[in-house]
Amino acid sequence: MSGGSARSLGKGSAPPGQVPEGLIRVYSMRFCPFAKRTLLVLKAKGIGHEVININLKNKPEWFFKKNPFGLVPVLENSQGQVIYESAITCEYLDEAYPGKKLLPDDPYEKACQKMVFELFSKVPPLLLSFLRRQNKEDCSGLKEELHKEFSKLEEVLTNKKTTFFGGSSLSMIDYLIWPWFEWLVALELNEYVNHTPNLKLWMEAMMKDPAVSSLFIDPKAFRGFLDLYLQNNLEACDYGL
Amino acid sequence: VTDDATRTLGKGSAPPGPVPEGLIRLYSMRFCPYAHRTRLVLQAKGIRHEVININLRNKPEWYFTKHPFGKIPVLENSKCQLIYESVIACEYLDDAYPGRKLYPCDSYERARQKMLLDLFYKVPHLTKECLIALRCGRECADLKLALRQEFCNLEEILGYQNTVFFGGDCISMIDYLFWPWFERLDVYGIADCVNHTPALRLWIAAMKQDPTVCALLIDKNIFLGFLNLYFQNNPDAFDYGLSC
Repeated sequence: MSGGSARSLGKGSAPPGQVPEGLIRVYSMRFCPFAKRTLLVLKAKGIGHEVININLKNKPEWFFKKNPFGLVPVLENSQGQVIYESAITCEYLDEAYPGKKLLPDDPYEKACQKMVFELFSKVPPLLLSFLRRQNKEDCSGLKEELHKEFSKLEEVLTNKKTTFFGGSSLSMIDYLIWPWFEWLVALELNEYVNHTPNLKLWMEAMMKDPAVSSLFIDPKAFRGFLDLYLQNNLEACDYGL
Repeated sequence: VTDDATRTLGKGSAPPGPVPEGLIRLYSMRFCPYAHRTRLVLQAKGIRHEVININLRNKPEWYFTKHPFGKIPVLENSKCQLIYESVIACEYLDDAYPGRKLYPCDSYERARQKMLLDLFYKVPHLTKECLIALRCGRECADLKLALRQEFCNLEEILGYQNTVFFGGDCISMIDYLFWPWFERLDVYGIADCVNHTPALRLWIAAMKQDPTVCALLIDKNIFLGFLNLYFQNNPDAFDYGLSC
C-alpha cells in the first residue's frame, strides 16, 4: 500500500503517470474523513492500491482533470476510468472487486444502509463547525445539535438490537460513518457519546476491527494538522511527515 | 387515466390496511417530482403496485408512522418494510424486481450514473425557487441564470459523450431520475432555460417519445389548475382534476 504516508502533491507538481495494471489508485489526504471511507474499504477488501496525497490547500492544476470539483477521494484505475464522491467510490469497489461483500445482497437491507447513511448526513458539517469554534465561542448550541444527531443513530441501534448498523457483523454503513467517530476518539471527545450507550459500544467494537485499527488516525498528528488546517496553512496536509 | 388518479388521504382518515401480497404500495402525490421518479421506475419495470396519495398540506396522523417527517415518496411492501428517499426507493425497485434493469450492470457505468446524479443536485431547488418567484410576481433573472448554468453542465456531458441519453444510446435510470423537473419546465414558465442547450432539447424530445414517460405525462391544464389552487393555499389543490 505505497504512498499512504507520502508528501502531498501541490500546485506546480508533475501529473502522475498511468496507473499500473493490477492496482487501483486513490487520490487522498491523510486526514480527510471522506477519503478515509475509501481507504477503509480498500483495506477491508484487501484491494491492491497506491495512494497519492493531494495538498488540499494548494491543489495541483492537473487534479481538476481527475475531479472537476477538485475534491478527494478520487479513484483511478489502469483503464483511466475515474470515480469520485466517497460513497460512490466505496460502492464501486464493493461491486467491482471480489471477496467479502460489504453491502448486503438483500435489496431491502441494502436500502436500509442507505437510509441510515442519509440519517447520518448532518454529522460531518456539524462536527466541522464544532471543531472550528472550539475554545473560541460558546458552542453549546452545536453540542445540542450533535447530541440530537447522535440520538437518531442510537435509535437505529436500539431498534435493530445489533452491535453494528447493518446487523451483527461490521459492514459498509459502519465504515462510511466511522471516520467522524474516529475524530471524537482522537480528540478525546468520547463524552459526546455518554448519553448514547449503544453508539458507545459500537465505537468500541469498531476499534477492534483490523481495517479500522491499522488505519487509525494518529491523535498528535491529527491535532497538529487541524490547527494548521483551520489557519489555512499550506503545510497542514503534510503535518507529522 | 394513470393508476394514481385517486383522492388524497388527509387528517382524520383511517390508516390503510396491510399491503396485499404480490403488490407494492407507493405513498405519493400526483404532482410531486420526487414521487414521479418512483412512479416512472414502477411503470418502466412493469411492477404491480397501488398508489395512496397523501394530502401534503393536511397530512394524516398515521402517515408519520410511515415516514418520520411525513415526506413522500415512501414504498411499503407486504412484509411491512418501508423504503424512502426517492433515489433509494428507485434503486430498491431496480434491485428487488426482475426484468429490465434500469441501472447498468457494469460497476463503472453504475458509478458514472451516480456521479451524474450529483451533478444534478441544484436543479430541483432552483426550479422550485423560479416557480415560487414567478407565482408571487417576483423577478427571477438571477435564479434563471443559475439554472441555465446547471443546464450548461448537463449539456457538456451530452456533448462529451455524444449520446442521446445520459446513460448512453438507450434510456436508463439516470434519465428517469432527471426527467420530472424537465417535464415541469413548461408549466412552471421557465421553458426558455433550455434555449441555449440544443443537446438537452434533443434529450427532452427523445424522452417524450419514451413509452414510460408518455404513460405518466401530466396534462398541462390539470397541472396549471393544481398550481393555481396550491399557490392560493387551497387544501383541495392536490385532488384537482380528479373526476370522482
